Order: sequence, then C-alpha cells, then structure tokens
Amino acid sequence: MPKSVVLPDDFEKAYKYLNVFMSIPKENLPIMLSYAEWRFYDKREAIINKDAVERHLNIVVRGLVRKFIVVNKVEQTLQLATEGHIIQSEISFFKQEPSLVTLQALEPTLILSIEFDKMEEAFGAIPEAERLGRLLLTRMYIKKQERRYLRASMSVRERFIDYIDKNPHMLQRIPQKYLASYLNIKPETFSRLKRLAMKKN
Amino acid sequence: MEAYQQLFQYTKQFADLSLEEFDILKNFTCIRKFKKKEFLITGGEIEGSVYFISEGLIREFFIKNKRQVTTDIIRAGTIVSSISSFFTGLSSKYYIQAIEPVTAVVISKAALEQLYSRDVKWERFGRMITGHFLLQQEIRILDTIRYSVRERFVNFIESNPDLLERVQHKQLASYLEIEPETFSRLKRFLEKNNGA
Repeated sequence: MPKSVVLPDDFEKAYKYLNVFMSIPKENLPIMLSYAEWRFYDKREAIINKDAVERHLNIVVRGLVRKFIVVNKVEQTLQLATEGHIIQSEISFFKQEPSLVTLQALEPTLILSIEFDKMEEAFGAIPEAERLGRLLLTRMYIKKQERRYLRASMSVRERFIDYIDKNPHMLQRIPQKYLASYLNIKPETFSRLKRLAMKKN
Repeated sequence: MEAYQQLFQYTKQFADLSLEEFDILKNFTCIRKFKKKEFLITGGEIEGSVYFISEGLIREFFIKNKRQVTTDIIRAGTIVSSISSFFTGLSSKYYIQAIEPVTAVVISKAALEQLYSRDVKWERFGRMITGHFLLQQEIRILDTIRYSVRERFVNFIESNPDLLERVQHKQLASYLEIEPETFSRLKRFLEKNNGA
C-alpha cells in the first residue's frame, strides 16, 4: 500500500482528537474536514522551514514532529508532537511573518492541516468553529504554560523523571539528543539519568 | 478614563463589538479595587475570574524552594488571570499580586460563558484574546532562548523604562531570569553610558 493514503482509521483518529476539544456530532465531521487537508511527510522532511511564512495549523494523526529554533548554530528543541498533538509555528501563523522556527517530521508523518484562509472561511460558515478554535487555542496555551512552569520550577532530575513517567514510550521513539534539548538537560547528564532510570527498572 | 470605557477600547483590538453588544457585559461584571500588596489570587486557590486592569500594576509569581519566582509583570490596560487554573479548574500554581493600588473589572467564568453563548461576536473575542495570550507566551519562550542576558536586559529596559522605578529590582531580575548581581551590574553599566 502506498504511504500517501488516508486510511479509515485516520478519520477515526482525527474525529477522536477533535472531540477532545469539543464534542462534535459525527455527521458534522465531513463538513469540518472539507476545510482541512491531509499532508504526508517523510522522515526528516521539513513541514515548514525557518523564514517561510506559516500557513497551517496542524494536528498530528500519525508520526512525530519536532519544532526547533537555531541559536548560535545550535538547534534547540521546543516541542515534540505525537498523535493528537497540535503543532505549528504560532507567531508566524498569527502575524503572517517569517518563521523563527522549523518544523520537521522525525518519523513518516501524517498531519491534518487547516490553511489560514480556509480557517477564516470556516469561522464565517460553521457556527461551532469559533468555539472549537477558542478551545484549541486554550489547550495550546495550557500546554505551553505547563511546560514553562515545569522548566522553571523543577530540577534537571525532576524534569527527566516527570517526562519519562508521563511519556514512557518516547525514550525509544526520539533520538536522545532531541529529548535532552527539549528538556533543557545536557546530553551527558541525560545519559547518566537514563542509565539510572534503567537500572531501577 | 472610566474602567468600562477602557475595557471597551481594549475589546476593539480583538472584535468589532458595538457599544450595545459590549454593554451586556456590565450586567455580569463588577469593579473591584485592590490595595498595594493585596492578592487577586494566591497559590492553591482555584481561579474563577479574569481581571481587566484599569489602573495599577500587577506581579505574577510562583514559589520555588521558598523563594518567589516572578513570571510576569502586568500593566494597566490588559487582562490578567491565573489562566491555566481558570481553564482547567485545578488549583493555581501562581500568585497574582497588586504591586500598586489596582482597579479592575472582574469577569467571572459564568459571566464569560454567558457572553459567549449570547453572541458569536463575543465568542470571536474569546478566540482572538486566547490567541493573543498564546502568542505572548510563545514570544516570551523564544526570546528567553534566543537572546543573551544582556540583550534581554537592554530590550526590556528600553521598552519599559518606568518599571525600573516601579518594581523591585530583585523582582525584575527574576522576571528576566538574570542573577541579581548581573542585573545590578548591567544597570550600573547602562547608567554610566547614558550619563556619558
């Protein structure tokens, strides 16, 4: 089967992910999806490059996406999004200006995307769209604030343990250097903490 | 300017409400004054309102190892709330305190829900303002990563020269994630350069 086929299961998942924000009658799904598009990416392919203007808001349906910024030639991982997560270059999208960040697929990835103008159209045409939009943004806000809080309030060790507890499968899925960068932990320290955690188990 | 008048102007950034559509809000909200050092919310409480600050100055912080970590300084003319707690109904990790006497329009969760259900324009306002807060947060995150300590200091002081007089320096240093000693050094350096 070619990889670029949207499977019935993908529709089911998209429905489930949208329902997290707001309960949507199943018969309304086709009309909502008519404003969206499915996009496939290979492993390591960029979804948006730095300096491009972000035109999409995306939900990951299959795969894994990394968001990063380059500072002094070092890539700093800002977000790791898996199934059900929302990801985009927010500032670029809202202001329609060149992106400071890059979005890259780390696995073969399928995302459900809504384009900037289509979104405006949907706000005009579908009564529940404003509410869905607001609830989606709210979720993004809470996630961001939570991450800022964890970063500022926890020690390196606590951040590591908290993340591994909440995301036990990510250690296998994500190259260690990206995870270390995401958690703002030095690679050596990360390896040491990982060895300690594995010994315990 | 009267608090509601100020809030009406503020809503114009986000949604095109007529004065009549805006006036509905007055039925559900009230004006409250806070003394200097009074808390709008303390850690452990559940946030039930958002506040439009019409006068005064606000500081947001949390406590880490018995020390206050300042996370935001909010001026009059904008909205403040322990937003995650407000949305999730979980207890607030943040303290929000008046650092100058404050006058605020208090908008409860129930009031906001009323407004949203009455008029899609209010719903739109809700979406736009949530987007605005999301963006502010993202800008803060990226700025902390991409600018050096010195750049953060200079950028902040250039955009907020008055806050050097209005906010304790240890709180400003904490907000900018700069060591207090480094903050003092940068400030002395800035004064010398401006004097020359």
